[in-house]
Formats: sequence, structure tokens, C-alpha cells
Amino acid sequence: MIDKAIPDAIGRVVATELKPATPHQFHFWTANATAIGIGAIVKVGGVGTGDEGRVVYGVVTEGFAYSDLATPLHDVVGAEGDPTRAADAPTARQQIRYWTGAVLRQTPEEPLQPVPLGQVYLADDADVAQALRMDGFLYSATPTAIPVGLYTSAGRDSPVYLDADFLLGPEAAHLNISGVSGLATKTSAVEFLLGSIFAHFPAHKGRIAAVCFNVKGPDLCFLDQPGDLSDEDRHRYERLGVPATPFQHVRLYAPLKADGVNLNTLRTHPDLVDDVEPLTWGLQEVVDYAEVLLNRDDIDAKADAFIDFLRDRVLSRTFDDGFGTTHRVQTFADLDRFFRSIFDGLEITAGGRSDTWRTHHIATMRKVRNRLLNISTRCKGLVTDDGPSSDLPWNEFKDRTVYVIDIANVDPLGQDLVFARVVSKLREQLERRELGVDAVVVFVDELNKYAPGDGPDTYVKKMLLDISERGRYLGLVLFGAEQFRSQVHRRVVGNAGTQLFGRMDMDELATPGYQVLTPATKSKLATLPIGELMVRHPHFTQPIFVRFPKPPVLRGRDGVERFPPAADVPFEDAVVRQLVRLDRRVRPNQVKDLIADREQDDVRRALAAARRTRPDDVLAYFRKVLGARVDSDGSRAREHQAVPPLNPISGEPY
Amino acid sequence: MTWWRALVDGGAVPGRGNTRDEVEAGEPADLVEGNELQTHPIPEPRIPHPVSFLNGIERWSVVAYDGVAQIVSAYVAAAVCRRDERGVLHATHEQSRAFAVAPVDRMSPTLRTLLEQAAPDLEPVDGALADHPARYLEQVESTVRRARAHLERELAEAATAALGTNEWLVLDGRLSRSPAVARHPRAVGVINSHGAQFLEGRGLERALTLPAGYRTSVFAVRGGHTRTEVYSWYLRLWPWEGNDLLYGLLRVEARADRDTVTRASEVSGWLWAERAPLATPATRWDRLLYPLHHVEEYLKARAPRSPAVRSRLPVA
Repeated sequence: MIDKAIPDAIGRVVATELKPATPHQFHFWTANATAIGIGAIVKVGGVGTGDEGRVVYGVVTEGFAYSDLATPLHDVVGAEGDPTRAADAPTARQQIRYWTGAVLRQTPEEPLQPVPLGQVYLADDADVAQALRMDGFLYSATPTAIPVGLYTSAGRDSPVYLDADFLLGPEAAHLNISGVSGLATKTSAVEFLLGSIFAHFPAHKGRIAAVCFNVKGPDLCFLDQPGDLSDEDRHRYERLGVPATPFQHVRLYAPLKADGVNLNTLRTHPDLVDDVEPLTWGLQEVVDYAEVLLNRDDIDAKADAFIDFLRDRVLSRTFDDGFGTTHRVQTFADLDRFFRSIFDGLEITAGGRSDTWRTHHIATMRKVRNRLLNISTRCKGLVTDDGPSSDLPWNEFKDRTVYVIDIANVDPLGQDLVFARVVSKLREQLERRELGVDAVVVFVDELNKYAPGDGPDTYVKKMLLDISERGRYLGLVLFGAEQFRSQVHRRVVGNAGTQLFGRMDMDELATPGYQVLTPATKSKLATLPIGELMVRHPHFTQPIFVRFPKPPVLRGRDGVERFPPAADVPFEDAVVRQLVRLDRRVRPNQVKDLIADREQDDVRRALAAARRTRPDDVLAYFRKVLGARVDSDGSRAREHQAVPPLNPISGEPY
Repeated sequence: MTWWRALVDGGAVPGRGNTRDEVEAGEPADLVEGNELQTHPIPEPRIPHPVSFLNGIERWSVVAYDGVAQIVSAYVAAAVCRRDERGVLHATHEQSRAFAVAPVDRMSPTLRTLLEQAAPDLEPVDGALADHPARYLEQVESTVRRARAHLERELAEAATAALGTNEWLVLDGRLSRSPAVARHPRAVGVINSHGAQFLEGRGLERALTLPAGYRTSVFAVRGGHTRTEVYSWYLRLWPWEGNDLLYGLLRVEARADRDTVTRASEVSGWLWAERAPLATPATRWDRLLYPLHHVEEYLKARAPRSPAVRSRLPVA
């Protein structure tokens, strides 16, 4: 016989004319010494109230304590004005702990009635599942539950799950997390949640990957390295059914530094640097997203038309400029030569009498030239003059793999470019079902920078809005994080089906977006410890507080301490390292002999070709490309070692 | 300037209010501490632990008429609450009685039969009084009060019998209601109604103008229907100047024993410390100890809903 113990009641619902019980709210009292607090989930039983069978689940949203003291003055009188004597009273005044609960769920759900004035019990695991409507997706034939943390109020330890259909689409999607900086809560929460998603993403929903943009410091550079976990954390992982191990499959991409050979990342320790793929793009990739480089003042039909002209008629085609020169523009150097030829043509051949070329005004052309060539200077290392040499594997994304793109040290304009291009490519590939996975989580930190609530409508902001509003149909899911939610575009945060809140700033909590929260909940949010979050999810009718374990990966700061970044290596050594990475048989001395006395640009170009081609015999291929390039185009390449903008620091509007 | 201001300026003590207690019979007391009633300052308080407090409530209301005969529903209750080491009070003893009061011999046979069947606890009242409703209600009040006193006495006897080695019992009202209680060494009665007068002359003046934080000399009084002798003294909790003579004035009763005289100051210091917390919002908070107020509130909260309250509800 099963001995099902009846739990002890911890409180009783009370209702007065001034504070009645309603279908959405109720009030109850408890003993002065009670385990419950703000955020605790309770169950109200209707036994003995005429509402037998009705059960109401609620979450505590406000608490009050008061005594039978009629006025504070009576306490002053009782202590004869001496605060030190106030505690000498031999009898403690009658006190009350009085709580307000917001209804999470009623069973039966119809007819919806006021909460019965019954006994109040602490919710156990099964009650938490019922209260948060998790039973529907936790116990179904095709469960879609993703653990988000443990409900730990009132000494409980109950797993809380999100519904994958509402976190990753198609019903709803996207996640937004807010919280003050410096507590590592936002990044940690996303790292834990990604691990949880990878462990619990339902098989029937296909394959999933994540793309994370590392925009500050070494935050996401060591996701494949194990971090230190306490026994308590391990216990939490066990309760949640999530493996306490770092990500098994991580691909890290970082642009090169200006020297074109050293990686621009903090993950350059010799033991780890081999796992970092260079991320370098050429002219074609930049021109495809030229709108990113234009600010609001630049956006006009003329510039758009000229960029389209370049794309359609000039780039990678044989083109006669009409002044007697034939161009084949494939690099920034080619592009610069193309512009110079036109400007010279207008100046010399036309005698300066015309300021238009093929209907495009010279000022428009100068503006576009400056914007395009400027990026090759500001983002040297990301944008190269050697064509696309290293990119993400757009057709071969792997299941349960995290792709980290480290753009922390890239110029903000370059960050925008990377972000725009990567997300656009993800969208394109997902639309065509050619990415290799069915869903991609894109994690973007500092969302208030990329999609601010005010300011110009940048290309990046428009793209984020587009993902927020339509991404769920494609499997493109945005996980955004920011310090101040109120400063992010409201359609971006509004479309996030799931919202997480770490410790919040009181000023932020005073903004209109938080008016639905009680003062007590706000107070709890303002003092939330590390590792605790407030969760809003479509199935939860009220915000719920959960605690998540520390991510099992090496934190950025710890990673930098354990694996200190290596100093930049000399050019020859960097070339050797990259070639050895492509082919272990390559001997350093052979490479150094080969590149001795060669122009660095020639070497970089050959290296880029080797990276792009990945031949079987890397050294032979490198030797061949290096020799051929030097012989045929060496003089021209040396002529234009850098591509300066026309007036990089002038006040000229173009 | 008002005329009484001139009196105050001339040396009279300012007063306020019109509080008066119901006059009760009292016999001249015999002084047992010294030759003349004196005032004594009370020492620094030493609060005993544990302490239990006993109080009771009464409620009655006319609920039906048989002609002019008024049928009354009455409820009396008493409880003892013990104070724990954190100062929190917990009920340890509790008794209540709900009964009917009726002039049974004046009722019609039908209604009398119905009453006797429906009300298991019936307190008959002399039917001759039924023709004089006001006097009848006085009799009812007296009956109910007597029932309450009986209940309190029973509970006090049970509580004193169960007192721990060092435990004290403080009762609201006279200690002499029960000889057994009146003889207990750690039972104290606290009387805040001063309708009975035991002193006269200079002694009376000293007692009624007692400064706050002082007690009078101990005197012996006889009270209750048992005529049990107890020792008693006055204690002023709050200054009466600017209020009235009885403001903050308590009369304390303890067993008639030399030890009571010895410990009068110590017990006074303890009761003085019981001034806080204030027993507000009770109207007599200046004389009511908070724990006794608490017991009363506890009993009120547990009492059945008053028919008088129900009758004031709007009728649909």
C-alpha cells in the first residue's frame, strides 16, 4: 500500500471586502517562521470550503508583516522614547506574515472562479510541473522540454523546463536576457542553456547548432575547456539531466591581425591556437553588404544605384571604363585602380568638363569609394586583399556544434559587417535548407548596441528586427543579451518568447517595461544573486525565479589565466604555423627558406590560396602559388601595398 | 484664560476626562506593611519566566421574544496563554460555554418545549423580572457575568494546578474568586477597575495620587463570595497628572502571606515592565497589560459570530 503522506498546510487563504480573493490573485497568512518568500510556488486546496476538488497554484508576489500596533506612536510611548528600550518589552506583539499570491493555474480551468479560502501548501515537484503548465510538453509522447534551471524557493529543488516549440520555434521563439554587467550571469545563463538545448533538443525537431558572437574580451573563447564546478553545481546538473561537461564540438573563428598572419583573438595560447580558424573576407563579401558600411546620411538612391552597378557590371567581370582601360576587379587594390582610372579619365580625358560617369555623379562615386576602401584599412585582417580565404562552413554546419566568432578586437564597423553577413548567410542557407542543420541559435551580446530603441535604423538593426519577427519560421533563433532591456528596440525584445532577467539596476526597474512586477519582485530582482534568474515563458502566467548551475566551461577570465595568450609570433613563424596546421608534414625550415626575401604580401596571398584550396600537398601548392604570383603580378602588387582612403580624416562629407 | 487655569496656576493638578468605574462594595482594609500607608518606589524590573496569563470574555444578545419575555443567547470563554522565551504567547488552557438565558416559567408551553429541546445549555431567570425589561436585562448581564466568573475560576484552578516550578500566573481580576488560586504563591491578580474602595483618608489620597513607578504599602482585603483574604497594593503604571486619578492605576492581589509583603516591590517592578507593549487599541490600555489584552483578543477571534453583528447586516 502506498503511504501518501498528506503535507502540512503552511498557510490559509483569507479574504476581506477590501482585499478579496479573485480568479487571478489571493492573499494568505503563514506562521511568522516560514520557508516561503517572494517567488515561492504554493498550492491552495479547496477542501472544506465548498470548493472540493478545486486546486489553485500561485506564486508569491508580495509579502507584508505587521503587528497589532495601532500607530507607531504607541511604540514610542511604550519605550518611553528610548529606542534601546523598545526591545525590552517582555511580550512580543501579535504579528502576521501576510502574502499575496498571483494565480498560475486553476484546476479545473473552467469555470474560472475566485480562489477558494482554503489551506495553503508548498508546491512539490509535481505541483511545480502542474503550476507552470509543463505537464503538457514534459509528459507528452514527443516531449519538448528544455531544462532552464531549478526552482529552489522554500527549500525545494524542482526542475523547471521551457518548451522547445516556444523557445526555438515554430510556435514562438527567441530569448532575451537582461542584467547588470559584471556578474557573468547573462553569458553563464546562455552557456548553460545552450548545453541544455544540445542535450534535450528533441530528435523529431532535427539538428541544431549555435553561432555565438564574442564581442568583448575572452568571454566565449574557451567553451570547449572544462571549468571548475562545485558539488552543488554537479548536483544541479544531475537534477536537470544536463551533462556537466563542456561543449564537445566548438569551432572558433577569428579575423587576422593587420599583419595578416597572426590571429586577432585572446585564444592564442600554443595549446589552443590550432583550433582557431582565421576569418577573412574579400571585396565580394564586403560589397554584398555595402549597406552596412553606409550611415543614414549616406543612404540614398544614387549610392545604392552605383553599388548595384559595381556588383552587376564590374566586380569579377572584364570591364572597359570608357577611358581606354580594361579592368577585372577582384580585390580592393583592383577596385582602387578602377576608381583612379575613372577619376583620372574624368579629369584628364574629359578635361574636367564633366562630373558624371555613366550617369553616376563623381561625388557619389567618391563617397562609395571612400566607404569601401575605408573598411579595408579599418578592418585589415578581417578584410583582405586576397579574396575569400576563410569563412564559415556554410553548407556543412554540424549538429550540436557551437560556432564562435571572435570579433571582440575588431573595429565596430567591422563587427557590424561580420554580424550582418553571418546572420544574412545563415538566413539564406536556412531558407534553402542547405545549412546542414534545421535550426541555429544566434547569440548576440550587447543587444542595446546593435538594436537600440532609439537612434538610426541601421542595416544591423533592421536585420535583427527581421530575425525577431520572422526567424522562427526558418529556425533562426535569436538569443540576445543586454544590460538595459529598456534601451533595446521594443520589437526585438517584444518578439522574444522567453525572457530571462538577472540582477537588475533599480533605475532600469523604474522604467515602464517593469510596471507589471510588484515592488517585492522588483526588490528581489535588484538583489538577485549570481546564478539566479527570473524567467518569463509563454506557458508561465507569472514570472518564475530559477537557479541554474555554473556552466561547465572555462570562463573567459579564467581561460586567459590558464591559457595566457601568446605574443604575436614573427611573420615567418606565423606562416609556418598556419601551413603546419594545414599539413602536419610541412617542415618549418622548408617554409622559412621558401619565403626568405619574398614580399610579405606575396606570401600572404599564397598562404590565403593554400587555406582556401586546402590541397593534399600544402607545401608544394604554396611553393607553386608563391612562385607564380611573384613572377606574374609581383611588380603590380608591390606598387599598392596598402589602399589608403582618399581623405581618411578630412571633414569632407564624402 | 479659563477659570480652571487659575486653579492649576494656584497649585491644583491638571486633569482630563470623565472616566469612572462601576461602584462596588468594599471593606476597609488592614495595613500589613508598616503602620501607615506609604508610597514606595519600585526597583529595576526582574521579569520571571515563564509566565501565563488568564483572561475571559462574555457576550450576550437577545435573539427572540416570547411576548415580552426576552430570550438571550450568551457566550462566555476564558483562556490561559503562556509566554515563551521569545515573548510569544501560546494558548495552553481554554474553555468556553454557549448557553441560553430565558425566563422559562413565563414562556408559552410550546416555545418553552422547543427551547428546552433546542438549547442543551439553558440558564433560567426569574420570570417575575420579565415584565420589567430593563431589570430583566440587568439580571441577564449578571447571570452571564457569573457564568464567566465561574469559567475563569475553573480555568484558574486548572492553570495553577498545572503551573511549573517557577511559573507564574497573572489573572485579569480578583484573585479571591477561588481560595485555591488565592493561596497559590505564584498567582497574581491584576484589577484595573476601582469601583471598590478599601482605603480612606490620607491613605486613600496617597493611593489615588500615587506617582508613576511607585506602589503603595501592602494591605489585606477580603473578597469574593468565599471571603478569602488576600494581600493587595496599588501600582501606578503611567502618570495620572493631566488625566484622571485612576489613570494607569492597578490594584494587585497576591496570597495573604508575609512573603507577599517581601516580594511586593519585586512583583511591582515586573508588572511595571509589562507596560510595554501598550495594550492599544483597548480603551483602558493605561491599565491593561498587553498579554491580558492578547488573551482577550484571542478569545474574541475564536468566539462564534455575534448575532448582534449579523442583525446589522443589510437585508436583501
